[in-house]
Amino acid sequence: MGLLQGATELFPVSSLGHAVLLPSLLHWSFKQSDPSFLPFLVLLHLGTAGALLIVYRNDWVDIIKGFFRAAVRGRIETPPERLAMLLMVGTIPAAILGVFLETRIKALFASPYVAAGFLVVNGLLMLGFEQLRRRAERRAALDAKPRLVQEASFAQAERISFRAAALVGACQALAFLPGISRSGVTIGGGLLGGLRHQEAARFSFLLATPVILAAGVLEVPQLFSGRVPVAEYIAGALLAGVAAYASARFLLRYFRSGRLDPYGWYCVAAGLAGLALLALHV
Amino acid sequence: MKSNQLAIGFVILAVICIVVAALYLFGVLQIFASTTSGPHVKHAILFGALAVASLIAANFTREKAV
Repeated sequence: MGLLQGATELFPVSSLGHAVLLPSLLHWSFKQSDPSFLPFLVLLHLGTAGALLIVYRNDWVDIIKGFFRAAVRGRIETPPERLAMLLMVGTIPAAILGVFLETRIKALFASPYVAAGFLVVNGLLMLGFEQLRRRAERRAALDAKPRLVQEASFAQAERISFRAAALVGACQALAFLPGISRSGVTIGGGLLGGLRHQEAARFSFLLATPVILAAGVLEVPQLFSGRVPVAEYIAGALLAGVAAYASARFLLRYFRSGRLDPYGWYCVAAGLAGLALLALHV
Repeated sequence: MKSNQLAIGFVILAVICIVVAALYLFGVLQIFASTTSGPHVKHAILFGALAVASLIAANFTREKAV
């Protein structure tokens, strides 16, 4: 589960959807309605957050310094200060919806059918985001240019507008639904905000870290309050971290010129296959 | 957008958020909570964070002497 979560968390294919769907299909002994299931997933997410902190350690030092400097000064003067404020604006919608919708989301976890259905929706969203990006490239007369030239025409994360950052944050809140990929919808939101693919992925990964850390800090104590195999869970979190680190490195390289399409098609196929297998009780 | 009135609005919002956070923390407020009794720490932390964000927004929007 740790390897699965770590590998799928940063890929735009919904780790939560896979974590809910696959145990049902493979008849693993996880009880998704168990009170320790969500904290267990959050512990795996903490492994991922740790990996992201390592990947972006220099960025985070600049962002934290920039946040306090800009907050006290009341003015943005440098790109890291702007990025810090953008991340704050982007985090607010997910934090509000996460706290208020938590109980309804837990109810949805119990259904692998829901996860498979939303996986299909997630795939269609990825394909839709790329169609909109291709339209933007055609409008800018970039469609005949090489991919690296196309990408260079779009912005870096620090240049995104505050309105777009709030939109990306709202997109992030969709990922509380199992089957909808957090990184997928936030990368897609970043593309709509005019970012290049690699920068949209960077903004997505940076935006994920505070939410995942906060969720972990709040949920993990519940994990240690009951009878759960804590050592196995921690081993799972470490494996998730290793897989997430490798995934982040791969994706940042891939998105220099790559698109969301392959992940979109994968999600549509995996969701439909999941629905078919569940319906056939395989 | 610089405006002292807007800044005052954000400060008022921050005060409201702090009051709501305290009400959730002491279990007085139960709206949108998963249980109907006891303190709701997550909700309290959320409103505390929103209060901080509102104060930052107030500092950004207030008119500053050049």
